[in-house]
Amino acid sequence: MSKYINKAVFAQVLALILVILAVPMMAWAGGGGGPFSAGTFSAIQVGLVLFAVISAWLLKGKMGLPMPKLIQAPLLWVICYVGFRIILTPPIPFSLLAMYMGVCTVAIFLYCSLTTPSWEEFSHPIAVMLREDHGTAKLSRYATFLIVPGLIAFQTYSQMLPSFGEPIELRTVHPAPPASINLHKKTYNLQTAENPFRVGEDGNYLKVGDEAQYFGGNAWTGDVPKFLQQVQQGGTVFFGTAGCFFCHGDNLDGKGPFSFAFNPIPANFADPGTISQLQETFVFWRVAKGGPDLSREAFPWASAMPPWEKHLTTNEIWKVIIFEYWHTGFFPRTWG
Amino acid sequence: MLNVFGESKKKIGALILLGMFSFLALLPFAPVATSLALAEEEAAVVEGEESDEPKMGKDVFYKEEGEFGPISGPPAPTMVYPDDYGTYGDFQSRTIIWISNQQHLYFGSFVLAVPMFVWVMELIGIMITQKGDAKLGKKFDDLAHEMMKISLTAYSVTAILGGILIFSFLALYPGFFRYLSGIFRPVMHIYALLFILESGVLYVYYYGWDAMNDRCGDWKWGHLALGTVLNAVGIALMVMANTWVSFMMSPAGVDAEGHFLGDIWKVMHNPLMVPVVVHRILGNAAFGGGVVAAYASFRFLSAKTPEEKGHYDWMSYIAMFMGILALIPLPFAGYWLMREIYGYRQQMGITLMGGLLAWVFIMQATMIATLFITVNYYLFQAMGRMPGSERYYPAFKFLLAILVVSTISWLTPHTLVMTPAELKAMGGAQHPVVGNYGVMSAKNTAINCMITTTVVTFMIYQRCNVNLKVPWAWKGNIFLGFLISMAYVNILFLGVYGYYIPANVRIGLSVPQVASTLTVLFVGVTVNLKMLKGAEPVGEIQWGKMSVRGAYALFMLAVAFTWTMAVMGYLRSSVRLHWHVNEILRDNSPWAFTNPLGYAGNINSLNVLLFWTMLLFVFWLSALATAGKKKVEAEEAATAGTAVPAGSH
Repeated sequence: MSKYINKAVFAQVLALILVILAVPMMAWAGGGGGPFSAGTFSAIQVGLVLFAVISAWLLKGKMGLPMPKLIQAPLLWVICYVGFRIILTPPIPFSLLAMYMGVCTVAIFLYCSLTTPSWEEFSHPIAVMLREDHGTAKLSRYATFLIVPGLIAFQTYSQMLPSFGEPIELRTVHPAPPASINLHKKTYNLQTAENPFRVGEDGNYLKVGDEAQYFGGNAWTGDVPKFLQQVQQGGTVFFGTAGCFFCHGDNLDGKGPFSFAFNPIPANFADPGTISQLQETFVFWRVAKGGPDLSREAFPWASAMPPWEKHLTTNEIWKVIIFEYWHTGFFPRTWG
Repeated sequence: MLNVFGESKKKIGALILLGMFSFLALLPFAPVATSLALAEEEAAVVEGEESDEPKMGKDVFYKEEGEFGPISGPPAPTMVYPDDYGTYGDFQSRTIIWISNQQHLYFGSFVLAVPMFVWVMELIGIMITQKGDAKLGKKFDDLAHEMMKISLTAYSVTAILGGILIFSFLALYPGFFRYLSGIFRPVMHIYALLFILESGVLYVYYYGWDAMNDRCGDWKWGHLALGTVLNAVGIALMVMANTWVSFMMSPAGVDAEGHFLGDIWKVMHNPLMVPVVVHRILGNAAFGGGVVAAYASFRFLSAKTPEEKGHYDWMSYIAMFMGILALIPLPFAGYWLMREIYGYRQQMGITLMGGLLAWVFIMQATMIATLFITVNYYLFQAMGRMPGSERYYPAFKFLLAILVVSTISWLTPHTLVMTPAELKAMGGAQHPVVGNYGVMSAKNTAINCMITTTVVTFMIYQRCNVNLKVPWAWKGNIFLGFLISMAYVNILFLGVYGYYIPANVRIGLSVPQVASTLTVLFVGVTVNLKMLKGAEPVGEIQWGKMSVRGAYALFMLAVAFTWTMAVMGYLRSSVRLHWHVNEILRDNSPWAFTNPLGYAGNINSLNVLLFWTMLLFVFWLSALATAGKKKVEAEEAATAGTAVPAGSH
């Protein structure tokens, strides 16, 4: 018993010092209040991780003082929590944090019970705490039976407290499109329609992927290839005629000056999970019909996107789509 | 006993028997031709047409040749509530159908999967006996027999649940059932006849086991041939039931109004039929392995003697191994199915993967990750009973770390659940870091890493209790290290590269990723086995000494299989949205809406609970029979004045 307690105390003190030093410093620096630049902050994080690894190695390998599993487990849990809650910025929503920490909790339990010696090391102090009748065991038993129900009671109380926040909406961001839409007196089959301005130098349809040759070029110089001419005209719609940038941002990252006035906020085209996952016709449908035509699964009107069919021509809609893919460097989804 | 192996005339006898049963199995299909002829005749006089020329309808799926067919039945009815729907009090009729269907499917899957294992086990037993190790051969034979015993009890439950399902359809969805049975009329009787054939073969196979094995040993190969027929009939039954389901998702062989166009094969061979069938066969096999492993764990935990513990420890390992063999290709079959669904209807694909039902895939990812982690955890525990495995203990935590990082990557959702305040704090609907893990490139990478890691764990398991003696062992180890490292590098590189290329090319990248995984599986395991040749054992496997955590892990594995099946069943069914038969027969009942995830989660959990409650009853019955047999044996032994053998199985 004593060997566990000695090692536990030693390792616990070390772990606590690490956590006490690291957590507030990271919160302070990460929150923008610190004197560190982003690069220095990353270097500090790497340094702390290295310090922890080297300390563990020294303790186990050189001093013969491996950290007991019962201490490793909560320490690992705290490290995971700090990583997901503080180091990972911007902060992730609580639902995702709960999922990640759920996985980590299970993983830590599995880690402690991977082998029989490991499990015995982990469970023995718990068994002692539950069964033995001497001072330390008794004390830790009483403490456990006070702390654990206390934590559960606190959690229950926190959950029952009335909240004034807006309720969570599990909104479908990419609802299934209709089979076809009517636009300016013409019907477009969304399964088969193609962007008429996706053309190469020979004037023929440019296969998706082949436009990569134009990525990185400047569409606004004098004599540019046909494809870049379409990009230029689409850019004019984005920044001029329609003013898409007010919401979707100069960099198409959904951070335009108006963006934070809306809920949900505008789509971020620069993210690999938006337009690069969709067919061009899907984007065509969204631009043309906007929020009012969203399907029931995506809450019709739960988007401030105007129905641009009322303000833009069909050609302008196709061209602005060409511009969006070109600017972000993504390719639309195809099934060919 | 099996004193006749190697005699070719017995094999010939077995082949003749197999031929006879195959002929019998084909007999039910004979009336199809008559049905088709009748359909064409009916078409000529449909709806009082006086012309000799049958009225033609345009197929909703088949194009060019075979696009038109004679209208041979009534159109799909316009369903009216409450006339075409029945109710039981305030219960949702759909939920009643859902539960009865799921329970029937669980037991059906189980009783179709077990004969596959039994057949393999029996064959292995025969082959081992032929090689001269009669004791081990009998062990496999007994294992197969015991597996069959569980299946037999479950077979009766399946039949009862099938009856409940049919009556539920007739009582609650009579309009729908009338239409569907009208479309499938040419083959409905075949299903019934196959079921009778399956029952007959099953009973002869099970009850004739000892007779064909011991008293008439000459018939062992014949018995195995019966097993072949049993599996063939079972798969045929499953294929037929799947054609109804896949027809509801992606109808063919009918026109836009739902008229049957006279060709039942087109109805059955609808666009999603083949991938659904392949996915189902693999799923059944994996599920069956999981359930048998859970049974063996149940018996392991309740065993009273070391012999019993040893036997059930071994049985659980074999069953788990068989299940995993089917589990490894399952994600790829699922991937193919999704691709076919996208190919069939873009809307259906987006509803599943990016829209209304996208969160179900997060649930599925959680369950599949649970399956792989559990398998690895079981193998780690199983190594605890193998002397010499201590050398590999330090590697376990790194393998676990790969699995956990892959899991976190795999279950990161594309659409996050968050409050408006969280959304604004994050600066957009997608997180700039974790958002990258919400797309398919990351998911494919994660699952391939998990499967590769599982294979690595298995290779460690194979070698952990021996010292290698082949002279080229060090070269082999370098080769294996290189192979495994390169597989991980290739999988990761292609995963990252996938972000920079068009989606159609990105989908193609899954092939080389899978190729890396399969190379490790086939080449790695083969080289590993070659290296084990002549190896010096550190110690024998101590069957029965596995930790209880390993046994519980197998329960977890089986429950995870069950829950995955439930959740994916909900998904496959919900993707039809408000259609009974997609775009043909509309659901006009009050339950045409898609159930929310919370409700689906509750019903799925209820289904899992119901299944396991019934299954525990089946396990208990099997244990009861064994206990009775043991008691008789013990009494006989006592009467004879000899020692009581410990644990017959």
